Amino acid sequence: MIEKYTVYEAMAAAVSHELNDFENWFIGLATGSTTIQILSRVPIVSMALAQHTHAPNSIMAPGRCMNPVISEIPTGMECEFSTELLYWRCESNRGFGGYLSERGEVDVGFGSAAQIDKYGNVNISAIGDYHRPKVRLIGAINLPCHFSRFKREIIIVMHKKRTFVDKVDFVSGAGYLDGPGAREKAGIPGGGPCMILTDKAIFDFDPETKLVRLKSIHPGVNLDNVLENTGFTHDYVPKNVPETSSPTDEELRLIREVIDPRGVLIPR
Amino acid sequence: MPELKEKLCSLSGAAGLIRDGARVHVGGFSMNDRPMAFVSELIRRGVKDLTLICHTGSIEADILVGAGCVKRIEFAYVGLEEFGLAPNFRRAAENGEIELVEYSEHAAFQRFTCNTRGESFFAMHEMLGTDLPKVNPDIKEFISPFDGSKCHLVPAADPEWVIIHAPMGDKYGNILYLDKYGMDNHDIVASRACDNIIVTVEKLITRERVFALARLNLIPRFRTTAIVEVPYGGHPSSCLGIYDYDKDHMKMYAQMAGDPNEFRRYLDKYVYGVKSQIDYLELVGFKNLMKIREVGGGLQ
Repeated sequence: MIEKYTVYEAMAAAVSHELNDFENWFIGLATGSTTIQILSRVPIVSMALAQHTHAPNSIMAPGRCMNPVISEIPTGMECEFSTELLYWRCESNRGFGGYLSERGEVDVGFGSAAQIDKYGNVNISAIGDYHRPKVRLIGAINLPCHFSRFKREIIIVMHKKRTFVDKVDFVSGAGYLDGPGAREKAGIPGGGPCMILTDKAIFDFDPETKLVRLKSIHPGVNLDNVLENTGFTHDYVPKNVPETSSPTDEELRLIREVIDPRGVLIPR
Repeated sequence: MPELKEKLCSLSGAAGLIRDGARVHVGGFSMNDRPMAFVSELIRRGVKDLTLICHTGSIEADILVGAGCVKRIEFAYVGLEEFGLAPNFRRAAENGEIELVEYSEHAAFQRFTCNTRGESFFAMHEMLGTDLPKVNPDIKEFISPFDGSKCHLVPAADPEWVIIHAPMGDKYGNILYLDKYGMDNHDIVASRACDNIIVTVEKLITRERVFALARLNLIPRFRTTAIVEVPYGGHPSSCLGIYDYDKDHMKMYAQMAGDPNEFRRYLDKYVYGVKSQIDYLELVGFKNLMKIREVGGGLQ
C-alpha cells in the first residue's frame, strides 16, 4: 500500500467517489491562488479520476472546455478564463459551459465561499452589513445558478473557523435557507449542496433537519483540530465520525502516472 | 457610388463622446479583451458619475472606480481572478462611495441579450432564495401566469455606450475577430445590445481584406459609431489570439491598488503620465510586450 499521499490527492479521490457515470460536471471562476488550487485543480483531477475509474460517459466542463485531455495540460490552470485554457485539447470549446449550466443540465457543480452556514447557504458577496461591508468580496457570480439549477453542489473551502458560521451575512447561493421545506417554499427548482469538502474533513447534510454534519475526518487530522477550526455552534458532530477513506493504490497511480504525470495540477 | 462614411476616430475624440453620468458597458471578460487604452483616456479626461454595467468586471472596473469615474456599478463579479480581490472596488464599496447593483452571472449576461431582442425586461428563476433581490430593488418578484411559479423580473442592461477592444477592423467600422474567439464572445452580444458602439482595434485593415475575411466580420459597420486603431490597446489585459494578459503588470497593479497612495502613483505613471499609446508602450517596454505576444495562437 502507498502510505504517503498529499491532502490534495485525498481530496480529489474523495470527490471522485461522489461522481456518477452519465453525469455533467461543471466548475467556474475562482479568485485567489489558494481558491484556484482547491476549487479548480483538485476538482479537475477528481473528475478525471472518476472518468478513468467508473464514469467514462460523464462530461467534464471546466469553464468553456468539454472533456479536456488533462494529462496534456502544459501548466496548472491559473483561472477559468486564463488564455491557456483556449489551447487545451478537448472535445468542444464553443460556449459549452453556459447553456449547460443555465438550462440546469449540470448534475454536479463545484463552488467555494467566504462564509458557509449551518444550512449550507453560502456568501461570496460581502462580510458584515451589505451596504457598508467590513469586507466587500467579489459578488455572487454564478453561485445563484449552481445552488438553484444544478442537481448537486460540492462546496470546497480551506478549513478556517471564520468560514463556518451559524448564519451567512448574505445569501449569494441558496442552501437549505432556514431549514426543511424552505427551498421548496422559495420555489427553487434544483437540488442544493450535498457536500462540503475541506483540507481537514468532509461535511454533508442531515436529510431530515437539513443541518450540516461532520461526515468524516481526513487521515492525519484529529477531531479536536476540526472542532477548533469550525465556527458552527449547532451539534454537527455525530457519535462516531469515521476517517475519510484513503485513496487506493490504483487511484494514486492513476493520479500520478495517468492524469497528472507532471504534477501541474497537484503539487508533489 | 458615393463615398462611404468613415468612422475612424482618435482615442481622445472617441472618449470625448462619453459624457458625465453616462451608462457605459466596457467590453471584455475577466482578464481578457479589455479596451484599457480607452479606459485610461476616459480617466485622463476626468469623466465622472458613470454607471458601469458589467457582468464579470475586472481591472477596467477597478481602475475606473479607483480614479473616481464611477457612481454606480451593475455587476455579477468584480475581481482580478488569479490576482485576487479588486482593491479599489473593495475600498469604494466598504466606504460607501459607490452604488452597488448586484445580479447573478446569467442575469448580468441576459440583460444584454434582452436588449438584443429589443425587450426591456425578462423573467428568470436562478436568484430564488438568494438575498440579491433584497439589496437590488431592480430585481422584482413575479408569479408566472403560465405555471404559477415564483420568479424574478430583471431589467435589460440598457447601455448608452458599449466600448470594446477587438483584433481588427476597417475605417468604415467593420470589426473582425480571429476565428476561434468570435462565436461565444460576449462582446458580440453587447455590440448588438446598444446603438452607440466604440471599438478600439489592434490593426486597421483594408476594405478588400474585409471582403476576403467576411466570415470573421462579426460587427458589421452599420453598428459601429467610432473605430480607433490602438496597438496593444488591451494591455495589461489580453487581446485574445494576439497577446496574453500581462501577469507581471497585473501583479504590480493588484499590489499598488491595495494602497490609495500607491494606486495614485500607478495612475500618475501609467495613465496621467502618458500622452499617447506610444508613450504608454515605451513605458511598458519592448521586452514585456514581446513576452505576452502570441500571434497565431488562434490558429491552433
